[in-house]
Amino acid sequence: MDSRARRSLALLTLVLGAASGYARGEVYQEPAAFVAEVFGSTPAPKVLWLTREIQAQAAAILGHAPAQLRQRYWSETRKSVWILEETGKEELITAGFVVVEGRIDHVRVLVYRESRGQEVRQGVFLKQFNDAKLAQGNRLDRDIDGIVGATLSVGAVERMARLALYFDRMSHG
Amino acid sequence: MKKSTSTLALAAAFGAIPAFGQTVDQKLQILQQEIDDLKAQTHKPAAASQQASPYSLDYGSMLDRSSALANGGTNIIGYGEVGYSKFRQSGDATADLQRFVFGFNHRFDERLTLHSEVEFEHAVVSKDDQGEAEIEQAWVNYKMSDAVNFKGGLFLIPLGILNETHEPPTYYGVQRNQVETRIIPTTWRELGVGMHGIVGEGFRYDAGVTTTFDSGKLDDPTTGMRSAHQEGQLANARNLAVYGALNYRRPGLLVGGGVFTGDTGQNGASNPALQGVAARFIMWDVHAQYRVAGLDLQALYAAGTLGDADKVTAATVAANLADPSVAAFAAPKSMKGWYAQAAYHVYKQGNFDVAPFIRYERIDIRQAEDPANNLFQDPNNNERIKTLGVNFWVHPQVVLKADIQRYATDKTQDRFDIGAGFMF
Repeated sequence: MDSRARRSLALLTLVLGAASGYARGEVYQEPAAFVAEVFGSTPAPKVLWLTREIQAQAAAILGHAPAQLRQRYWSETRKSVWILEETGKEELITAGFVVVEGRIDHVRVLVYRESRGQEVRQGVFLKQFNDAKLAQGNRLDRDIDGIVGATLSVGAVERMARLALYFDRMSHG
Repeated sequence: MKKSTSTLALAAAFGAIPAFGQTVDQKLQILQQEIDDLKAQTHKPAAASQQASPYSLDYGSMLDRSSALANGGTNIIGYGEVGYSKFRQSGDATADLQRFVFGFNHRFDERLTLHSEVEFEHAVVSKDDQGEAEIEQAWVNYKMSDAVNFKGGLFLIPLGILNETHEPPTYYGVQRNQVETRIIPTTWRELGVGMHGIVGEGFRYDAGVTTTFDSGKLDDPTTGMRSAHQEGQLANARNLAVYGALNYRRPGLLVGGGVFTGDTGQNGASNPALQGVAARFIMWDVHAQYRVAGLDLQALYAAGTLGDADKVTAATVAANLADPSVAAFAAPKSMKGWYAQAAYHVYKQGNFDVAPFIRYERIDIRQAEDPANNLFQDPNNNERIKTLGVNFWVHPQVVLKADIQRYATDKTQDRFDIGAGFMF
């Protein structure tokens, strides 16, 4: 092996080694850990049954029929947590929504599976949802600024936020 | 076995989990719907793999699940557009299914994914028609983390805005802008390997080694280097290229740029007169997009140079001498262009979103003239284009468009366009 080939091999090893040091996958936080973080412990889950009316409203929010007929959630006193999933461009995005008295307290992207559009998990994007509530037509009471190149992922997070607020409202009967 | 699974689901639903605010009749109705769905699924052939939904669709022990990623899933994506153009000077009009693109994306495991797009242009593909069928992308991505991805295959070069994000609902106007068509040859893809990822808060980098253009294949100097684009089709690869790009994204803001460079002589593989000619091509761009309070601003500047352009011109003369059916022309030696665009969302209600826009484009392609052989600059390579139009989204993924375009030099291109586009 000549010195040039050895240098190339050493460089490749260095790059792969450095890259493997960064390896942490696409799961930013386990949903269980998110729920435990919000409440300090994990309360017993509750279930929202999706009646035909709720299914119809959820379909209007998502633009497609909800895949689930029951939705688990966790709540204590004024606070509820919803772990939802929606497809961005190609794959499901898993996000946790904390709702307090009909307003979003905070949002976190827990699992992001696509190779592009990860910007939607950044705090600067998710902060836009803080304090948002449902307005007429089950829409958010504010515009969410998009991210160039992540249009579909931005839309998916926005739809999930609306759904979390709607489910929260329905969970209170 | 299936009955026992349903029974368990019923028991879990009624026993383990408290439910609120709904009547027993409503719950029974929902359970009946679930049972019907399960029955329907047992009669379905085990064909298309469906994406698993590890959390919200599962009514089992959601919190006991690890964060298993949806492995083995295959998704279908697509986009397309149709347009009608009425030309002002000639009075001619055309209606065209400009493109229909579909793609399969497959997840092999939690890190390894395949991305592909197949494009059909102009509706019909045959030897007597103008349509084309082509693979626009086919690459495999290995994700070490958000910061480190490796990819290989046929992929898009990260220059400009439109080249990587070109689904019709994401841009203004029935026609793609001319700067990112004639200067940056969108949709520009090459075969190669690369790295990309996000570092810090919103910085995305891209870098890699790919195939490059083949100057011996140039046949249309009015589109810069576009006609020398090899598109992964038995690409001559004696010369390779390197590229790099850095973009900063945050909500409402994109600022970035990129560079691509490589020799394009390919040691005369397509035109023997280019043997030993480097013909180095360098292209770079900077771009920005800013959205605030309904205003949508976008600007881009792109420039490129082709080394040894006089030798490429001479090679076209040699090719013409060998075969008179092959035209000789003055090769492009430098190209630059810029545009500025402003749109304002005047109406937003539900899914409806209406945004008029205005765009100004400037294109300047300089050619290596050869007066001895009567090969001169094409005046149409110095162009200014004004576009005034409106996008009307009837859904975030479906758009109707209309615009008027005025060309300062090539008046035959003045037109009125209407069109529609979609993506999924």
